[in-house]
Order: sequence, then C-alpha cells, then structure tokens
Amino acid sequence: MIVTYNWLKEFVDFDYSPQDLADRLTMVGLEVEGITFIGDGFDTVIVARLEKVEPHPNADRLTVCQVNNGHGVVQVVCGATNHKTGDTIALAQPGSVLPGDFKIKKSKIRGQESVGMLCSEKELGLSSEAAGIMILDSALEIGTPVFDALKLKDAVLEIGLTPNRPDCLSVVGIAREVAAMCGKPLTLPLSTLVARGVDITKSAGVVIDDSQGCPRYAARMIRDVKIGPSPDWMVQRLESIGLRSINNVVDVTNYVMMELGHPMHAFDFRDLVQGEIIVKRATEKEPFTTLDDAKHQLSSEDLMICDGERPVALAGVMGGLNSEVREDTSIILLEAAYFNPTIIRRTSKRHGLHTESSHRFERGADIDMIPVVLDRAAALIADLAGGEIAAGLIDVYPVLLPKVEITLSAANTAKILGIHIDLQQIIRLLKGIGLDVVSDKIDTDGTIVVGVPSFRPDLGREIDLIEEVARLYGYDNLPITMPRACFESQLEKPELKLEAKVRNLLVGSGFSEIINYSFFAPSAARKLHLAADDQRLESVRILNPLNEDQAVMRTTLVPSMLDTLARNLSHRSTDLHLFELRPVFFASGDENGSRQELHLAAAISGQKAPLSWNHTKEPVDFYDMKGVLEKILTLLCVKDPCFDSENSETYLHPGKSAKICSGKTILGYIGEVHPQVLQEFDLGQEVYLLELNLDKVFEMAGNYAAFTVPSKFPAVERDSSLLIKESVEAQKVLAVAQKSLGKLGQNIVIFDVYKGKGVPAGKKSIALRVRYSSPDKTLTEDEVAKAHGKLIKSVCHQLEAEIR
Amino acid sequence: MKDRLHELEKDALAAIDGAGSPATLQEIRVAFLGKKGAVTDIMKGMRDLTPEERPFVGALVNSLKESLESAFTSRSSALQQAAVNERISSEKIDISLPGRQAFSGSKHPVTLVTEEIVEIFGKLGFCVEEGPEIERDFYNFEALNIPKDHPARDMQDTFYVSEDLVLRTHTSPVQIRSMLKQKPPLRVIAPGTVYRRDSDITHSPMFHQIEGFLVDQNVTFGDLKGILTHFLTNCFGDNLGVRFRPSFFPFTEPSAEVDIACVMCGGNGCRVCKGTGWLEILGCGMIDPKVFKSVNYDAEQLSGFAFGMGIERIAMLKYGVSDLRLFFENDLRFLRQF
Repeated sequence: MIVTYNWLKEFVDFDYSPQDLADRLTMVGLEVEGITFIGDGFDTVIVARLEKVEPHPNADRLTVCQVNNGHGVVQVVCGATNHKTGDTIALAQPGSVLPGDFKIKKSKIRGQESVGMLCSEKELGLSSEAAGIMILDSALEIGTPVFDALKLKDAVLEIGLTPNRPDCLSVVGIAREVAAMCGKPLTLPLSTLVARGVDITKSAGVVIDDSQGCPRYAARMIRDVKIGPSPDWMVQRLESIGLRSINNVVDVTNYVMMELGHPMHAFDFRDLVQGEIIVKRATEKEPFTTLDDAKHQLSSEDLMICDGERPVALAGVMGGLNSEVREDTSIILLEAAYFNPTIIRRTSKRHGLHTESSHRFERGADIDMIPVVLDRAAALIADLAGGEIAAGLIDVYPVLLPKVEITLSAANTAKILGIHIDLQQIIRLLKGIGLDVVSDKIDTDGTIVVGVPSFRPDLGREIDLIEEVARLYGYDNLPITMPRACFESQLEKPELKLEAKVRNLLVGSGFSEIINYSFFAPSAARKLHLAADDQRLESVRILNPLNEDQAVMRTTLVPSMLDTLARNLSHRSTDLHLFELRPVFFASGDENGSRQELHLAAAISGQKAPLSWNHTKEPVDFYDMKGVLEKILTLLCVKDPCFDSENSETYLHPGKSAKICSGKTILGYIGEVHPQVLQEFDLGQEVYLLELNLDKVFEMAGNYAAFTVPSKFPAVERDSSLLIKESVEAQKVLAVAQKSLGKLGQNIVIFDVYKGKGVPAGKKSIALRVRYSSPDKTLTEDEVAKAHGKLIKSVCHQLEAEIR
Repeated sequence: MKDRLHELEKDALAAIDGAGSPATLQEIRVAFLGKKGAVTDIMKGMRDLTPEERPFVGALVNSLKESLESAFTSRSSALQQAAVNERISSEKIDISLPGRQAFSGSKHPVTLVTEEIVEIFGKLGFCVEEGPEIERDFYNFEALNIPKDHPARDMQDTFYVSEDLVLRTHTSPVQIRSMLKQKPPLRVIAPGTVYRRDSDITHSPMFHQIEGFLVDQNVTFGDLKGILTHFLTNCFGDNLGVRFRPSFFPFTEPSAEVDIACVMCGGNGCRVCKGTGWLEILGCGMIDPKVFKSVNYDAEQLSGFAFGMGIERIAMLKYGVSDLRLFFENDLRFLRQF
C-alpha cells in the first residue's frame, strides 16, 4: 500500500515529520519499507515569467527568452514551441539537478548565452510524457520554488501490509492508525450530493442470485457525464501512488478506492441489456473478455455480474470489455458491492488476474462502507465529469452480516502479555482505533465487551483483541522476562549425534562440506547409467518447478557431487576433498507417498597433500577414500563391515570399486568413477567417490565395545610373508588370520603386498605382522612360535598359501 | 709399590685427558680397569703381599681406582657435552619454511550457524526435533491456521508434489509434529531445509530455517522477548539493539517481527539496512489458540511462543556475505574460508 504524507494530512492533523511518521507506523505493525520525497532537492527550480520570447538568431527551432526570476532578468535558450511572452513557467536555475542526474549549467547555445532551462512536466518527474514546457498559473508568485508554489512537495510512504489488515488498504485506514497514535480525531471526507431527475429504480434493477457470493450490491446512476481527462490534482495524486490516469470517471473510482478502501466499478449503462444487473455464477466454459482485452474461459464457480443477457464483469476482479466506460459514454452505472473473499480469491487465481480490487475483496472489504463510497464517488464524478446524479439508490442487502462482539478480560490480557494493563487504558486504546466498547457491559471484574466494526474483519476472538492492545500499548513497552523453568525429559534422536560425529570426522580429515539444491534434472540420475529398474530413477516430481533442471527431488547425491567437482576444476581448484550430508527422496514409500533417506557423498580428486616444498607429489587413490570410510565405520562401531567387489555401481570403475555391507545390509558404494562417466561430467582427472546410506549405517552402528586393560608385559611381533593366489582378496586373508589369533594374538597388519620379480605369475606376496602379548606374563619364545605357527598354518591351509 | 701406583695414576690420567672420543675413552678404561687391565693386575698381585702390607696397599689401590673412575666420568661427560655442542652447532634449519600441512576441511557456513544457534538454545533446555522435507499440506498449512484459499498462503510461494504434498515452506510444521508426539511442557529447536518457489539475487528456491518453540503454563510475551533477546545478544554480541514490532503470522498471535541494530553500520543507516539502521532478523509470536486446537492441546491451560529465522540471512550478517548464491555454488575458494 502506498500513501502520501499530504493525503494522510487531509484526514488527521498530526505533527510528525515524514521520517517520524514512518518509524511510528512501523512500530504499530504497518511496516514502512521506503520513503520517497517528491520535490526534494528541486528548490532551485522556481516560478518565473517570460518577459520576452524571440527567435534564436542562429537556429530556426530555438527561441531566446528573457526570463524574470524575481530578482532580475536572465536569458535562457529554449527548444520548445508552446511558450510565448507573458507566460509563467518553471525555470531550472544553474546548479539544479533534475531527475536522471541531469545537471543544469550556465552555457552558450549557438552563440547565445543560456542561464538555466525552462522545464516540462516530464523533466521535473511529474509525468511520463510532455508535449512542451509547463505553463503555470499566472497567479503564482515569481521566485518561489515550483514544488512549493504548486503544493507538490510530498513524501510517498510505501507500506508492506500483512494480509490480516485489509482496513489499511486505504488512506483513511492508515489515517485511523495515525489518529490513534497522536490522539487526534479522524475526519472522513465529506460528500455533498445533489441527486435529482428520474429515480434510478425506474431505469435500472439489481438482482442477487447468489447471496452467499454477494451479500450486498448497491448502485448509483449518473446521467449526461462528459468523459475526458482528469484535472491535474487528480492525475498527480494518482501518479504519486503509482496509478495511471485513465479518464475522469475511472480515475474517480480508483481515487475513492485508494481513499476509502472499497473497490468500485463504473459501467457504461447503455451496454447493460435491459438495464439489469444480475449477480450469479457463470456458465461453465463460457467465454469472457475482461477490459484489459484478455480472453478467459469461465468456470461455474466464478461469480459474475451479468446484465439481462450476458456477463459484464468478473465480480470483484475486473470489468468486461463489453461494458467499459468509453469516450462517448454518457450514462454511468456505478457499482459498490461486497463479495465473498474465498470466491474472489479462487477466481483471481484461476484466471491469473490479481487486481487492486481482488486484492481487497479477498482480504475482506468493509460492507458498511458501500453507501459511503457510492456517494463519495458519485459526487466526485458529477464534479469532474459534469452530469446529474439520478435520484435514489439501489441497495440490495438480503442477508445482514452478523455483528461481531468479543468479550475481553484484563486478566487474560495480562496472562498473555506478562504485564497488567489497566482496564481503562485498554478501553482507551481500543476506542482509539474505532472499536466500540459496549459501555453498559463493562464488568467490575475486569471484562469488557467490544463491538467490532465491519472494517476489521480480522478481529473475531479475544486473542485478536489482546494483540491489538499489545500493538497499541507498544511492544517495546512490554516487559522482558525469562520463562519459569519447567523441564520434562525429552530425548533427542540418537542419530543426530552420529550425524555430527561423521561430519566432524570428515572435516577433521580435510573434507569441505558442500550443500547442493535438493532437486535436480530428471536426466541427472540417468547420467549414471543405472539399471532400468533402479529405484533411483523413480524420483519425486515437483508439479510446478522453476525450471526443468530443478524438476525432481534428488534420489542420489552423486550427480550434484560430480557437477560440483567439475565446477571447482574449472576454477582451477584441482585438489578436492568434498562431502555432502543431505537427504535424498524416493517416490515410493510411507503414507506420505515419499521416503526421505539421509545420505553421505564424499569425493576426492587431485593430490594427497597440498602442494608444498615438503610433500612429494602423489595423487589420491582408492585407498585414500577407503581409509576415510574405514574411519567412519570404526568410529560408529559398525558391525562386520565387508566389501564386495563383484556387485558395484554402474557409474564406478568395475575393477576399482566395491559395495559396502554390514552383514547382509547394504550401506553404500565406494570406488573410482567410471572413465566414461568422468567424460560425461567433464571431469579431466580421476575421482574417487563414496556414497553411504547413513540411515542404514546408523542402524548397523554398534555400541562402544568394552575396553581391554593394556598388558604390563612386553608384546612380541612376528612377521610372515605368504605366497598366495592373486585372486584371493586381502579381506579373506585377514578374516582367516583373525579367526586363528588365539588367546595371545593382539592384532594383524598387512605391511606389504608385492607382485612381480621373485613371485610366480598368478600369485602375490602378502606380508603380515602379528602382535602377541599376554595380560599376565612375559611370553616365552616357544609360546609365541607355537601361536604364530598355528596362525600361519591355518591361513596356508585354508587359502592354499605358502610361506615365502 | 707406592711409586709404581703413582706412575700408573699419572699415565692413566694423561691417557684419559687425551682421549678424543667416547670409544678411545672406553679402550683406555679397559686398559686400566678392565679384567686384564693394569689396575686389575696390581689387585691380582695383592695375594703376594704380606698381611701387614695388604691393608696399606689395598687402600692405595682403592684410592687409585676412585681417582681413575672419577676422571673417566668427568672426561666422559665432557666428551658427551662436546659431542652435543658439535651437533647443535652444525645443525640449523630454516624455521621460516612452512610446516607440513594436510588439507584442512571446513563445515558449510549454514552448518556452522545452525550448530551455533542450536547450542545457544540447547543450553536453555531446548531439544532438537526434525521433520520431513516433503510435507503434508495439513502440517505445513492447515494445522498452522493457514487454510486453503486464504491470502496468507500468498506469503509463501509453494512447490507442490501433489495436491496434498508440498516441499515444506517453513520449519513450522515441526511444531505440529512435535506437539502431536509429545505432551507439554515442551522446548524444541528445529533446524531444517525449506523451499519456496522464488529465485533471484535475494531469494533461493531452497534455504534453511530454524524454528523454536516453548509450550508451558503461564508463558508470556515477556518470556518470548526475554529468550529471544538472550539469543540475539549471544549470537551477535552484547549491547545489541533489539526491537520487537507488530506483524502477522497465521500461527501466532500476538505476532512480532524482530529487528536488530544493523551490524554493518551500528544503526546509523547504510545500504544493507536500507538506511533504517535496523535489520529484520526473525519472526515470532505467541502460539495461536487455533494451533493448540489442531493438536488437541488445551489453550485455556497452556500458552507458548514460537519463532523462526532464516539461517542464510544470519550467516550473511555474521560473516558479511553479500550474495546469497555463494552458499549453493560450493566453490571451494569460498567454503575454505569457514
């Protein structure tokens, strides 16, 4: 909502400066989002008189003017043609800065000195078009600033209104709040109306067919109007709040809507077949053209204003092209009505028509305001467009809307606000904004009954009034307290801790966290070459995406991770350790029709360590990624982790990837990204990737195993190199060895793996270091040899290995 | 005998003094005090002495041994000292060269701010709760007093998945889910991802919010002011200007918008605060009785407050990030700075 300072002053006599007013409005809940000053900084543009206008000696299209500025006469060269000697004009003196940062300087134009510029309305920002310079009223005093002389100095306040305050969608509505804050009365605009001639009911009739959609419909008629442009004051006022002037009749309906808040519509009466207005629902699929020349197909839910034959307006939203006011219109039927907010909102949404009118009706218009605006507008039209207001008024109001009365107790007010406000003060505050405190119902125990005027449809419950009291009392005046502590045992989801642990571990391991949008293109998952029946291809689709690249919810974090890597590589960030810990979504699932799963994607690429004098250059490999994964699994005590190299993912290198399981539960996948996928994502270097279903990982997370007391006796280590078939995986060797550790074995480390010279083809050498110790004695050579021999023997036996 | 011992001592001390390394010193030691050493030889010859001579010579030999031992010890430590001196004077590195670095990781600024806020409220007894990001219309709107066909729905442009499913537009549905799940009193803080159908320089279709609420008996608007003032001064610093001004949310009444004094200009007015000196930081209010009704709480007995704030907005103010899009571009050069 836009209002101007001067306009507000017409209805309440306040003393605040524009800035002060803006601050105060903000603090009562009408947030001023911006102030623009009209005429500010234009004090050097003054009223002046043309003493002499002569043709320029050296230019056909220019004139040389002698201009009286109140102190003397200066010479100005002017390119306009609409001025003559004796005219009063606006002179921009040297030093003036006009809109568009146009600086006025003393200059010479084709050899003639020019001290300033004669201005048009456009150059002063008063209108968007101008045919020539602005010719002013000769009664204005020469030498005074133009904006002062024309009383155009004003401040435009842009107010961001919340949807609960339709009453403030008018200058008077906001003036009511200002009146309450400064304790001055609100003066409503007066309309003196002379109605005569044939009574309106003799030539027009109104029938409400749908009183639920339209509880009240009123009309007035004005005959013999002359459609033409509006006077300057009207044009300027409308333009100051961002409205375009159309003609004198339409401008009046807009002006009164802005002034009093109630939308109106003017019909050309000759277009209303049989002079009739019928308010009813539309016929399904009936075509209708609104006055902006847009064609609509109506729905049977749309409420229409019809004449004897056809629809003439989309009720409360926009009039029809078939009955709009034109240049030769002479009889006006002026409509003011109340329409059901929900119906108007649906129609407005359905047809994509959001208008000043629908905006007000869908938030709740003021039904009691109808006769007031009708008289105000009729009087203004008669004033500006001539004509005669027909005698009588049509006012069809079949069902009176019930009066709202609310009981408010001072005790409940104190209970919510935390401060006791005296009942008399509450009454004073509420009366200040026009609420009616029913005087014979003020109870000594501290309750009052408040009658809610029709302009406040947002007030219906006691809590609504408590908010009004708080707002008017001032939020800043309410106390600052701390709640009385009353604790109940509330347990947080244990997964939250695990999630934090994983995140901290990754950050500690050198990874940077990324956050990508939760949606991606439907084609994104397909770029991973997934099998046709893969559930990741069944994504949740957004019905109204912003664009196709954000049309479905992510089912995997991998594509966005690869895109992020590619983008960083293009920025020459080549050593990348990134992770994303976010949910993915699947179409099938629980009662919600979708399932959310927490995933982790981590990726590494580039060098193992940052470039430095003391690091050797070495690129990351599979085992760097696996090391991080193992840390995660160990940290969370995941039971029986194992890796399956046979059933990996389609987007991973088949020889360098694995499925990660805990027992039979699949936790995720790890591996080098498939060279072909690298190409498709424009990745020029190897990437190692990990994606985990953290929900599953957390499910398989174990408790911290009981610790063992470290032995006081020395440990002994034994190394053995084993020759074994190349196809036997290390995890197998470790598993067998682990089982044969016996009582004395502590742990096993693979400290060397070797293939090549000295090792037969098809075999590899694996070197194990086993640590033995006893909690209660120093082990003898014999005991260690026996234990180690047994271990190596079972590995050799079970895996067809031999000691090298 | 006595002279012989004197002679021996003289020779030995001279040899010890002349030893240039611990190894030579050890050889000298063996030569004099070893099993076949000169002093040992004399000791062996003791049995040839008369019983009268023995104590006298024995005392002399012992004294010689002591004297030599002490000489060996002092020479040994002198040699060690010399070796250490030699080592430290020959070893010198350029300590100004950079140390050996591993890559340092970083949390996303959204995570950092979330953790900080959750920690502040955690100390006040607020528990973390979560809810689904694809949410039922009921939880996201209806139960929060935002009926269908209500203009308040225009406050949030919504992504729809079906007629009944939306990408949640705020974290407020967690209020409903928590209250349906638990009995009062309740203190909950609920961080999460939210979505609005809006994308430009100042709007992202996905962003993050934190919702918090407290339900108990006799909770007042004053308590709301108290808790949030505590939070804001903890988050942005002491002596921070904080103001509460009336606003509207369908699920709270009275509702308030909270502003803090502009952290960029200190309240004097700048581009960031659009010259007002204030920055809008969060929305809050007393939980509307209709919300209590939708979760079958007794609004006569209970009251409570709720608040919600945008995490990116707070991160932008805390870290001086001027462009919202930076949070989702995932440029390592940006992320590494946190």
